[in-house]
Amino acid sequence: MRKLLPLPFQPESPSMLDLHDKIEDAIAEIKKHWDKTPHAGVILGTGLGSLVKEIDVEATIDYSDIPHFPTSTAVSHAGRLVCGTLSGLPIVAMEGRMHMYEGYPLKMITLPVRVMKALGAELLVVSNACGGMNPNYRCGDIMVIEDHINLMGDNPLIGINDDRLGPRFPDMCEPYQQTLVDRALSIARKEDIVAHKGVFVAVAGPNLETRAEYRFLRTIGADVVGMSTVPEVVVAVHCGLRVVGFSIITDMCLPDALKPANVEEIIAVANSAEPHLTTLVKGVLAAEKS
Amino acid sequence: MQLTPLQYSEKIDEATKYVRQYSANEPRVAIILGTGLGNLATHIKPEATLPYQEIPHFPQSTALSHQGQLVLGTLENVPVVAMQGRFHLYEGYPVTDAVLPVYAMQRLGAEILVVSNASGGVNPKFTGGDIMVMNSHINLMFRKNSELFNNSLVPMSSEQTGTLLYDRELIDQALQTGREHDFYIHEGCYVGLTGPNYETRSEYRMVRKIGGDVVGMSTIPEVLAAHSLQMKVLALSAVTNVAKPDALSETTAEEVVDIARLAEPKLTAIVIDLLRNL
Repeated sequence: MRKLLPLPFQPESPSMLDLHDKIEDAIAEIKKHWDKTPHAGVILGTGLGSLVKEIDVEATIDYSDIPHFPTSTAVSHAGRLVCGTLSGLPIVAMEGRMHMYEGYPLKMITLPVRVMKALGAELLVVSNACGGMNPNYRCGDIMVIEDHINLMGDNPLIGINDDRLGPRFPDMCEPYQQTLVDRALSIARKEDIVAHKGVFVAVAGPNLETRAEYRFLRTIGADVVGMSTVPEVVVAVHCGLRVVGFSIITDMCLPDALKPANVEEIIAVANSAEPHLTTLVKGVLAAEKS
Repeated sequence: MQLTPLQYSEKIDEATKYVRQYSANEPRVAIILGTGLGNLATHIKPEATLPYQEIPHFPQSTALSHQGQLVLGTLENVPVVAMQGRFHLYEGYPVTDAVLPVYAMQRLGAEILVVSNASGGVNPKFTGGDIMVMNSHINLMFRKNSELFNNSLVPMSSEQTGTLLYDRELIDQALQTGREHDFYIHEGCYVGLTGPNYETRSEYRMVRKIGGDVVGMSTIPEVLAAHSLQMKVLALSAVTNVAKPDALSETTAEEVVDIARLAEPKLTAIVIDLLRNL
């Protein structure tokens, strides 16, 4: 007789019906500290946290003080919500983001985006550090995200849909608003910053890709690869936020001349490219005002 | 919560037992009717219609335009069991729950699975309203499906021939129906993603580049389950819109359902011919 093997499936969170209450809890706490309506939410990725220095900070709230927010564990991520003014616009910024590879469910990772929407934001600005696969890119360049490919093997919208939060089948023909892409590129030209327009592919990680995987990702049409951003953007589209996304190319992933990646070096490149990102984010926000 | 194969088998038994109370017929063919194609069930001479919520261990369907009931009866004098409404992984079911009805239908007696779906075409030769008969698929659903079948639930017979998931004879017969009724049927590869969002332009390009002709959010789990049960599978895809990534326009669920209805008469003809030739 054959041995009975246990079924190794994992029970998933079956619905997003609990999100509505969680969002309410979180905004109630945030409003105790800061009661303005943000125009934009900003997510600061690996090594990009110093954009916060540009914000006229009015309130800072640790993630651990906000109900249902996960606590960030990644290197160089601070883990707090910064509320204030940037380019004359009220914004909330996430200093430190959560990643799928940390083990968080995507619904939890993306909760802050829904909270930003519930606070009144219209625009989501996302940033990340990524590996460049397009050979025409160079380390330290910025890529304005034109489109993405989700290869994370998961989706934050799986489960019974809550129609109060967004549609069952969100359309993805323009997740990153083209006018914002053009605006960001035009600001970059004006400010003499090297900026590309390209496709971001998200994988779960946490290991970096093999050479064969880089070839594969390049073949399917991606210019850069990273382990974040796509869940947040999918949720932003679901809840009706406009999105603009920036990737800083922190290392070049050219499969035929691949060197071992070094997290410290990646963070150093991200930090040195950070002023460019700050300029672009401030420029995009300033243009929102007019 | 982990489920042993024995517990799973008991669930299937309970579901099957419940259904048998209402219908003595032993279905030869199981049919899964996907988005916009539910009306094929109206051609069935029904013996029993059982809402999913009454059948033990059946999950509840939450998708648009899916009614959620099991229809038993005869179609062209062949006893059949049809699922009007199916379970998508984007609804949050574990794979084991989503495919439980396939196990139940097989245990009721079905040897053939006919499954239909609505898909987005990425092959530029396709047009909205076309039918594609699936001869292969690419599973990008990232759900643990295979482990379920690696257990004592399904004693694999040593005579199992080959690994063809999609039965060649049934495909050929479907193509012949198309010729006889004078409508074009494509043969091609279905790429399964979980969704629920529609694809980005870059994802459509990827699907095309890796060899897909259409992309959808269903069917693969059911086909894998049926294949492991040694059922013959015919999978038909109604191409609801052709995604042109270089000039992509918005896709809405309502539009998908509307165009799927155009494909309905063709689909009905294929299934009816298949049953006549049994």
